Amino acid sequence: MRMLKGNPISRGIALGKLYIYQAFTPDVHEAYCEAGQEHEQFHKFNQALQTAGEELDKIVVSLTADSPDKAKIFTAHKEILYDEEVADQVEEMILNSRAMPDYAVDMVFTQFAELLSQVDDPLIAARATDLLDVRNRVLRILQGEEEHNLSSLTEEVIIVAHDLLPSDTATLDREKVLGIITEVGGETSHTAIIARSYKIPAVLGVPEATKILKNDQFVVLDALEGKVLMAPDDATVEEYELKYAEFEKNEVEANKYLDKPSITASGEKFSIGLNIGSDEPNESIKFGDFIGLFRTEFLYMESDHMPTEEEQFKAYKRVLANAQGKPVTLRTLDIGGDKSLKYMVLPQEDNPFLGNRALRLCLSQPDLFKTQLRAALRASAFGELEIMFPMVGTIDDIRNAKAVVEEVKTELRSEEIPFNENIKVGIMIEIPSIALMADAAASEVDFASVGTNDLTQYTHAVDRMNADLVDYFQSMSPAMFRLLGNVFSEFNKAGKPISVCGELAGDPAGAVVLIGLGLRKLSMNGANIAHVKQTVSKFTLDEMEAIADKAKAKATQEEVVDFLEEQIAKHE
Amino acid sequence: MHAKQTTVLNATGLHARPASDFVTMAKSFESKVYVKRLGDDDAKPGNAKSILGVLAQGISINTPIEISAEGPDEVEAVDKLIELVDSKFGED
Repeated sequence: MRMLKGNPISRGIALGKLYIYQAFTPDVHEAYCEAGQEHEQFHKFNQALQTAGEELDKIVVSLTADSPDKAKIFTAHKEILYDEEVADQVEEMILNSRAMPDYAVDMVFTQFAELLSQVDDPLIAARATDLLDVRNRVLRILQGEEEHNLSSLTEEVIIVAHDLLPSDTATLDREKVLGIITEVGGETSHTAIIARSYKIPAVLGVPEATKILKNDQFVVLDALEGKVLMAPDDATVEEYELKYAEFEKNEVEANKYLDKPSITASGEKFSIGLNIGSDEPNESIKFGDFIGLFRTEFLYMESDHMPTEEEQFKAYKRVLANAQGKPVTLRTLDIGGDKSLKYMVLPQEDNPFLGNRALRLCLSQPDLFKTQLRAALRASAFGELEIMFPMVGTIDDIRNAKAVVEEVKTELRSEEIPFNENIKVGIMIEIPSIALMADAAASEVDFASVGTNDLTQYTHAVDRMNADLVDYFQSMSPAMFRLLGNVFSEFNKAGKPISVCGELAGDPAGAVVLIGLGLRKLSMNGANIAHVKQTVSKFTLDEMEAIADKAKAKATQEEVVDFLEEQIAKHE
Repeated sequence: MHAKQTTVLNATGLHARPASDFVTMAKSFESKVYVKRLGDDDAKPGNAKSILGVLAQGISINTPIEISAEGPDEVEAVDKLIELVDSKFGED
């Protein structure tokens, strides 16, 4: 029985068939057919068009009932596929110039995509991406390859991929995904965050997984230990069926804490928040006290055009309605780095995580920023909404961002559009330079929230996307706890609310240390709420403060982790 | 050859559903039909029966355009398409 190893980043166990997902990358060269063969080649092109049309029909049918918006994208693809001008030009190239069909398709579609991308209207320019998508579909069919798509899975599978991009997970049919295995990706990569929020067991950083593993192969995915067991024997399958049952039982045990108050063993209350990334209703909201992080990227990433003020306003209003009166902290657009948009070309950077991303990008594109702020401010008339800026490095950043908020407020006032005049404005603390300036920052903002993933990345100078570097990504290092301790005490001193919305807050052991360091607001994915409430309920505040002091005084992360495991085991 | 000019006044311009409606109607005629954005001397007329030909013209709100047709039903084609554009495609 062969075994592959990786990082278990979303806990769970899955037994099932594999589905190897490889995004198709076309490989086309300039090529011509022999004289006399052009009609046969033209026939091949027409057949490919027909097959592509049938594929699109199937996708549209499967999406229409549940996701009409996604279905529309593929209806538009069909329109492009059957475009008269494209067909005429391809025909001309094949019949008159004897171009091979794939070469002709590539030339014509690419030319049109370039033409469209030059149009001033961004809505039209955005269609260029759809054109390339359709081009790839036709080329794939011409080259005799099968369709790979995560939106139209026909049975329950464990997905194997090099990496899953935001555009892949946007159409992911989560009902059919038993587990996820990828070759790259660390604890806080996009795939990891999605897997945890959907509660899909996942093992990432499995080298060569897409080459070693085969389609339809049956495996056991152990996302507790980080193992993929290939061709498991009957005894192993039985063992894992038991483990699966055991895991589910523990989940049930923890879930008993879900609707209990969040309180320490010595009676101090702390607040639990929820992190969300869409405007869909989230059942976990009833177990939390606030929404500590509302990521707005989905609006930008799942759309084929720059989301308008009206679209954003409606989405924010929906989130406030779903929040049932609880406060919602809206984080303004956080892209760059590992995320990109279809309709907006961001310049390639050597170090995107150190580049023009998040607030920096927004400040450099005032229209984009102001549209979002207008939508958020308008929504603030309909619930308790707060605005938070990501990627703040200096006090200047805070002042510049607040100045834009004031500008937008003035606009709204003059247009007599209602909004909350006293809306709270805060920042993410995820860059060490602002963490070290916590006292000054606290006097400039209404609140702050620590993003421990990025703060770890920037403090430890380690790329969180690189699976080879997981050992260097130390969010529980003594250095991190010293830095966090400073931030919490400065904000507590200033009487300004401070929370943590990074992964560390959702880790039961991490939560114990954070509370010990003075934190009282922890925001996390719904999947973590029960475990955090369960663990923290077993410790007194004195115990947690002592644990935090000792964690800060340890020399290495390994020592911290061992110590915390010991402490938690004592209380079980 | 028959041609007429008008100005696009619906908010979306010739994009998304209005562009589809425009192309669908153009296809119902036998004549060759073209649409061209005015004000830009270099603009080449786009095939009005092609969604990409229409989109590539980059016609947004307040853009003056010329619709032309050549063939047996050229007059009707131009008139009907002008009427469609002037109806603002049912947008407010």
